[in-house]
Amino acid sequence: MTEEVKNKVVVLSAVVFLLGFFLWCLLKPAGAVSESERRALAARPDITVSGLMSGKFTRDFESYAMDQFPLRDGFRTLKALMSRYLLGQKDVGGIYEAGGYVSKLEYPLDTDSLDNAAVRFRNIYDKYLDGQDVKVYLSIIPDKNMFLAGQNGYPAMDYGELATYLQKKADYMGYIDIYDCLELADYYKTDTHWRQEKITDVAERLAAGMGVTLSGQYTVRLLEHPFYGVYRGQAALPLPAEEIYYLDSTVLDSCRVFDYETNGEISVYDMEKAVGRDPYEMFLAGPRSLLKIENDAADTDRRLIVFRDSFGSSIAPLLVEGYREITLIDIRYLSSQLLGNYVEFDNCDVLFLYSTLVLNNSETLK
Amino acid sequence: MVFSSIPFLYYFLPCTLLLYFAAPRRLKNAVLLLTSVVFYAWGEPKFVIVMLLTILQGYVFGILTEKSGGRRAKMYLAVSAVISLGLLGYCKYADFFIRNFNAATGLSIPLLKVTLPIGISFYTFQILSYVADVCRGNVRAQRSFIDLAAYVAMFPQLIAGPIVRYSDIAGQLSDREHSFAGSALGVRRFVVGMGKKVLIANTLGELANICRDSGDKSVLLFWLYGVACTLQIYFDFSGYSDMAIGLGKIFGFDFPENFNYPYISKSITEFWRRWHMSLGSWFRDYVYIPLGGNRVKKPRWLCNLLIVWFLTGFWHGAEWNFIVWGLFFGVLLIVEKLALAKVLDRTGILKYIYVMLAVTLSFVVFDAASISEAWFYIKAMFGGGGFPAVSREALYYLRSFGPLLITAVIGATPLVSLGIRKLREKGKAAGVLNCLEPAALLLLMLVITGYIVDGSFNPFLYFRF
Repeated sequence: MTEEVKNKVVVLSAVVFLLGFFLWCLLKPAGAVSESERRALAARPDITVSGLMSGKFTRDFESYAMDQFPLRDGFRTLKALMSRYLLGQKDVGGIYEAGGYVSKLEYPLDTDSLDNAAVRFRNIYDKYLDGQDVKVYLSIIPDKNMFLAGQNGYPAMDYGELATYLQKKADYMGYIDIYDCLELADYYKTDTHWRQEKITDVAERLAAGMGVTLSGQYTVRLLEHPFYGVYRGQAALPLPAEEIYYLDSTVLDSCRVFDYETNGEISVYDMEKAVGRDPYEMFLAGPRSLLKIENDAADTDRRLIVFRDSFGSSIAPLLVEGYREITLIDIRYLSSQLLGNYVEFDNCDVLFLYSTLVLNNSETLK
Repeated sequence: MVFSSIPFLYYFLPCTLLLYFAAPRRLKNAVLLLTSVVFYAWGEPKFVIVMLLTILQGYVFGILTEKSGGRRAKMYLAVSAVISLGLLGYCKYADFFIRNFNAATGLSIPLLKVTLPIGISFYTFQILSYVADVCRGNVRAQRSFIDLAAYVAMFPQLIAGPIVRYSDIAGQLSDREHSFAGSALGVRRFVVGMGKKVLIANTLGELANICRDSGDKSVLLFWLYGVACTLQIYFDFSGYSDMAIGLGKIFGFDFPENFNYPYISKSITEFWRRWHMSLGSWFRDYVYIPLGGNRVKKPRWLCNLLIVWFLTGFWHGAEWNFIVWGLFFGVLLIVEKLALAKVLDRTGILKYIYVMLAVTLSFVVFDAASISEAWFYIKAMFGGGGFPAVSREALYYLRSFGPLLITAVIGATPLVSLGIRKLREKGKAAGVLNCLEPAALLLLMLVITGYIVDGSFNPFLYFRF
C-alpha cells in the first residue's frame, strides 16, 4: 500500500468509525438496566436552563453517554481482556480471577474497622443483652479470599489474626469457629456468597455451639435460572453461568416469615427474586433489616436472635429446625438504637454472625 | 469537556468535523470559534463570557498598540497585561494570598472561593504574548475578531495547550491547507495521544492512588508511587498535547511540539528543553529575556533564573508545593550552569539516574496536596517514616503493574518511533506498515473506547491549570 493510499484509508476509516458510532448513539434505544452490572442505567437528561448553567446537564449527559453506548458490555469485556492479558494486570479495580473463581481483593486487615464493629456489638450487648437471660455467641464467616488469594499469589489477610482480634474485643461472647467447615468449593465462583447446599455442616456446627441438634434432612432443589454472581459483572470477563441449589424440607415449607419493613409475610425462598437481578436474593428476599421466622412445628420454645449480613440469609433457614422463632437483624439497614421497639431480648440465644467482608469494612454497621 | 470522553469523541467531534468540512473556506474560522465556545461552555458555561471578554480586550489593545507605536504602545501593552494578569490573579491566586496573609497576621479575611475558569492560564498567556508580539512588531494586529478569537479559543489547545503563539499560526488562520496527508497524520497523532492518556496514564494513576491509599505502606510502595506519578504525569500531559497537535493537523494547523522524550535527558537543563516546551519558551521569551536573561551581572542573572522558575512553579498552581517544585528546578539549573554541567558530561549512566531521581522527587512534590504531605512522602521514600522496606502489597502491585511500567518506560523513550522509522526505511516493510497502520489505529480506538465506556479512572492532571 502506498503512502497516499494509506492516508486516504486512515482518514476515511476514522470518519466512518466516528460517524458510525455517532449515528448509532443517536438511534439506539436507551436501555433501562444493565443486567451484568446489576444497576439502572442513566437516562437521557432533560435540557433546562438551570441544568445547563449549573453543569448538571453536562454531568448527567456524560453518564448517559457512557451507560447507553452501543455494545457497552462488549467494550467492557474488551477492556478487561486488554488489562488482564496485554497489560498483564493481575486484578482490575481489585477484582481478580483465579482457577475459575472471581473475587475482590480484601487486604489488608483493618483493625480500626474491627474496633468499630466491636464497639457496635458491645453497644448492643450493653443496651439489650447485659443482665438478661441470654447466651451470646460470635461466629465469623471467612470470605473466599481465605481459600483463593494467598494460594494464587494475591495479598490476603491473616484470617486467624482477625478472629483472634475480634474474640479478644468481644470476650463476653462465646466463639463458634466455623473456619474449618469451609473450603473454596463452598462458595459461588462469581459471587461473594457461600452456597447453601454446601453449608449444612456449618449450620450444624453453629447449632451445636449453641446446644441445639439439627437433623439436616433436606431436599436439594435446582433453580432453573442461570446465576451470574456480582463479581462477574464487575470483572466483565466472559465467565460461564453458575447454578443455584437450595434446600427444602417440610419444616421450611411450614415456616412463616414476617418482614417488619413491609409489615407482611414473605417466603423463605422468594422465587420472584430468584429470576431477578440478583438471584441470591431468593434467600429470605435479600437485604432486609428485620425478619422473624416462626416454626410452629418446632418441639422446642427456644428463640434465636441473629445479628447478620447477607451470608445469614442462606444459612438462617438451616437453623430453623432447632428453634421456634428466629429473628434476623441487619444493623446495616436498621439502627441498633431502634431495636428495642421491635425485638424482645430475653430468654433466647443471640448469635453475631458476620462475614469478614463486613467486619473489615464495618463503617456500614449502624 | 475532555477529549477522552464519550461526549467529545462520539458526539462533539463528529458534529464539529461535519460542520467544519462542510463550511466554505471563509466560514471555517467562524465554525471553529462556534464549536470551541460550545466545547468550553460544556464544562464552564458561565466562564465563556470571561474568556470572550479577555479575547476582546486583547483584540482591542492589539489594534491600539499597533496603531499608536512608541511609548503609547507600551502603555497599551501594560494595560492589556494588567487586565489579563489581574483576571488570572483574581481567579487563581486571590485565595492563596488571602490564606497566607491570614496565616502571617492572624487575621481571618474570608476567602473569595472563586471557581477557576478552565484553561485560563493557557489563554491568558496566549493573549499576553499576542499583544506583546504586536507591540514588538513581530506580528501584525489581527483585524478580524473572529480569527483572533478562533486562535485563542480553538478547542484542541484551549484547555491544556500547547501554548500556541499567534505568530506560530497567524498565516494559517487566513490560509491553510487541508489534505489527506495532514489529516491522516492528525488522526494518527490523536489516536496515539489518546492511547497514552487513557491506557497508560489513567492506569498508572490508579496505581498511584492505590499506593497513596494503601494500608500496607512500605518504602518500596512509596517508590512505586513516585515512579507511577512521574510516568503518569508525562503520559497524561504529553498524550493530551499529542491529541491537541493531531486535532490541529486535521483542521490544517501546525501547533508547536510540547514534549520531546524528556525522560532521556542527561541534565535538568536538557529536561526543560524537552518538557512542556511551549511553556518553557514562553517564559524565556516573555519573562527571562526581558529581565535581561544572562546578559547581566551574575547575581542579577541568578536572580532572573529564580524569578522565572518561581513563576513557572506558581503558574502550575496557587500552592506552596508548586512554588517549591519550580524553585527546586531553578536551583538545580543554577547548580548545573555554575558547576555541574561539565561534571555530568563525564558521569556515564549516572547522569540519567540523577535526572530521573530529581524529576521523580519533583513530581512527588508536584502531586502532593501540601508541602507537609510532600515531605512525608519524600522522607518515607528514603526510609524516614518508620515503614518497612517491603510489604506484601508493594510486591504484589509491582508484579501486577510491572508489564505496564516497563511498557511506559519504553514508551517514554524514542525506541518505538526509531524502530518504526528503521522499518519504514526498508522498502517492503514500509508497505506492510502502511497496511497495518489503519487497522492498528482502529483497534486502538476500540480498546480506548472500552476503557472510557467502563468509566474507569479518568482524571486530567493539567485541567486545573
